[in-house]
Amino acid sequence: MITIKASGPLKSYLNGSSQVDVEAAGLSVFETLKLINIPAEMIALVLINDQPAAKDTILKDHDFVQILAVIGGG
Amino acid sequence: MNGYGGNILRVNLTTGKITREPTPVDLARDFIGGRGFGAYFLYTEVPAHADPLGPENKLIISSGPISGLLVPGAGKCDFTTKSPLTGGYASSSLGGMLTAELKYAGVDSIILEGISPHPVYLFIENEKVELRDASAYWGQGCITVEKALKTQLGEEFQVAVIGPGGENGVSYACINHDYGREAGRGGVGTVMGAKKLKAIAIRGTHSIPVADLDAYRQSGMALFKACKESDGLKPWQTYGTTIVTSWCDEVGALPTRNFSAGSFEKGASLYGPVMREQIVITDKGCFGCPSPCGKYSRMKRYGTYVEGPEYETIGMLGSNVGISDIQDVAQANLLCDDLGIDTISTGGAIGWAMECFEKGILTLEDTGGLELRFGNVDATLKLIGMIARREGLGAILSQGVKKASQVIGKGSEKFAIHVKGMEQSAYATHNATAMLLAYMTSDVGAHHNRSWAITYDLQVGRDQVVPEKVARIIWLQNFRPMFDVLGACRLQWVELSIDRELYVPVLAAITGIHRSWQDLEKVGARIWNLTRMFWIREIEGFGRAWDLPSPRFYEEPPVTGVTKGQITRFEDVQRLLDMYYEQRGWDANGIPTPETLANLGLKSIID
Repeated sequence: MITIKASGPLKSYLNGSSQVDVEAAGLSVFETLKLINIPAEMIALVLINDQPAAKDTILKDHDFVQILAVIGGG
Repeated sequence: MNGYGGNILRVNLTTGKITREPTPVDLARDFIGGRGFGAYFLYTEVPAHADPLGPENKLIISSGPISGLLVPGAGKCDFTTKSPLTGGYASSSLGGMLTAELKYAGVDSIILEGISPHPVYLFIENEKVELRDASAYWGQGCITVEKALKTQLGEEFQVAVIGPGGENGVSYACINHDYGREAGRGGVGTVMGAKKLKAIAIRGTHSIPVADLDAYRQSGMALFKACKESDGLKPWQTYGTTIVTSWCDEVGALPTRNFSAGSFEKGASLYGPVMREQIVITDKGCFGCPSPCGKYSRMKRYGTYVEGPEYETIGMLGSNVGISDIQDVAQANLLCDDLGIDTISTGGAIGWAMECFEKGILTLEDTGGLELRFGNVDATLKLIGMIARREGLGAILSQGVKKASQVIGKGSEKFAIHVKGMEQSAYATHNATAMLLAYMTSDVGAHHNRSWAITYDLQVGRDQVVPEKVARIIWLQNFRPMFDVLGACRLQWVELSIDRELYVPVLAAITGIHRSWQDLEKVGARIWNLTRMFWIREIEGFGRAWDLPSPRFYEEPPVTGVTKGQITRFEDVQRLLDMYYEQRGWDANGIPTPETLANLGLKSIID
């Protein structure tokens, strides 16, 4: 099981919730975002277990994934 | 007046006369402070068609009613003048500690006019204000002079300083502060240099009156609490503005090789986490900031340190000039900071020059032997020095890409990336119609901070030309710059996603005047239209043609990267302007109608 934590405007994609658990071990971050209907292009930063990661990183069981939106810029 | 320093300080550098007058109540009511004061004084006091580098132009430095108080990021100071780069309105925002000290010295605005017969610096310690000889500092870099003044006067003084760039008349010279913060855009430092004013040193010890002390403490702390509880705080503090570098590369917004593309094949080595790992040694913040986004970096290869680089500098002096090593970008940043020239315009000018060289428009003879190809670090670093000293090709580039392309010609005008003469900042806008419109209609030229709308483009559809996009841009333009009016940083709202309604009670508690965001946005619209009228007054024939983007964005689709083959049609550029003017209450040439001006309370000022 993977835990996805979303901040700010991304919560709207999770019905207002900031966290969701997903069966996504073996999937990439891209694929997992698609699974939970969050557009990958809205994500500025992905942290996996507090470490920055690319969106094509393959997730492992018990990974904690934090996703940050691009909000306003500049 | 609650929330204000209480005084306007006037300094005539020609005569040496210094006066202090109470801040007008109706000015605070109608224009609030900061950028609002700057716009008002610029329009009403600078004579029409004044030479930007002449004695009649004024440099207006203003804090806002939130500056220096218990509000996150209450450290923003506005610098407004007639721009030597564009010939129109220039307003540049400076973070750091200066604005707080200005308020504590009892000052809301400093209005500088005239030209000193010899180099001076302005000394302010509460009511004691003097022009002091700065001959010994003239010609020296910003970092050296700030350190010398703080050593001489005391660390508690806050210093703003120009470098050789401003002294030599580089059209995009900046004003530096706190060793790494800049009022960067539009040539505000050039005007300061033309006035022979090397630096301003301020210390203040007065309190700032507030209307309701208990409510101010409560509502201020509520804002700090919201920042601390934001999920975005830790990543923002870790990476600062570099948080968007990878994303911009992914979506085709990273300016690459003079905006010929929006993705850089070597971009990964410039991303935020790479920078953090390779060069960042600590975080640095401005006055009262709970989310310090500044990064202090060490460049081992050069044996130097710099505050930065920010995303804009990474874009403009990294991918835009083909440089992929973050240490090299940081070194370029340092040179610009110390010499006192804007990193964005410098990167734009060098990127343009590189494209000229690659196309054979500039030769080795023209460049003084510099192999000015994309990615040449040595050439970039040398050219930065040449620009600041206005030597050789640097002299041409020092006047900005618009004028440089007019001098060089040979079709180079087509890829001079600017609007109204200001070099575009670090977001490529191929097939991104909202952000393209944002750049086209920004009040100072092609700068992004008034309205940033790339995610909106992605949400609505990059190529969509719809009234909703235009409405979004106008709303952002009326709203975002209000932080510069209030004297606080907008990035807590922008990046930490805190509720902007939290600012309403704290502003009311400070000033004693309740203003909703709708009220504040009306002031934003008032300032926007006043500065539009300044452009119209100052530039003969100013109108629609000045709002057009570089032809690169409607004639030359990228041949590489995420936005390969994508472009905005010119007829859509025109449709965007049609919709924008209609929604703004302007005529088909982009001139505010008399009715619009009257509705915003500007009739008496304009008449």
